Amino acid sequence: MKNNIRVERAIKNITQGDLADQVAVSRQTINSIESNKYVPSTVLALKIARVFGKPVEDIFTLEDKD
Amino acid sequence: MKSRFLFPHWCRFLGWGLVIAHVPMSIIGRANGMTNPLDQPLVNTTLFTGEHLFFICTTLVMALGLFIVAFSREKVEDEQIWQVRLDSLRWAIFINYLVLIASLVFVNDIAHLLELNLWVPLLFFIIRFRWVIFRLNSSLSREG
Repeated sequence: MKNNIRVERAIKNITQGDLADQVAVSRQTINSIESNKYVPSTVLALKIARVFGKPVEDIFTLEDKD
Repeated sequence: MKSRFLFPHWCRFLGWGLVIAHVPMSIIGRANGMTNPLDQPLVNTTLFTGEHLFFICTTLVMALGLFIVAFSREKVEDEQIWQVRLDSLRWAIFINYLVLIASLVFVNDIAHLLELNLWVPLLFFIIRFRWVIFRLNSSLSREG
């Protein structure tokens, strides 16, 4: 699963730490999600999408191998 | 995320304290002629003898320390930590059973198998869990 959290963060001008605080996880978790090393749970994906004010499909997209 | 069945974060230091404390207790006890009941054939089954108390103060304190270290909460306990915890537990059980099966086949010493089982899964869990956390932290510092 791909995501464009890094781009959305740049648009909103917030750091990994800010996003981590808003969704109540560690900065490591946001970093792992951005680097596609960790696939978040549905709850966390929805929380992240809510921070950016967009539907979850705009932030996370399935890849062919999924 | 609610993390149930975990000790508070500060318990990790208490756990390491217990693990470290068992070393001088073991040395002092052995210097005074105490032996671990697992090192000799079971002849005396009475509880709370000198040897039994020595066993509690050394081997059990060490195992309890490792147990507390392994199941202490991280500073930020989120879903990724839970996944790492679960993965590490799976590996620890896997390794433990490999060691156990190999020992049962190749070693004829049942008493020491119990001692091995006391600390192998916990120690392997702690090593694997801390190693993954360390790698997560180092990848974070690499990316700034």
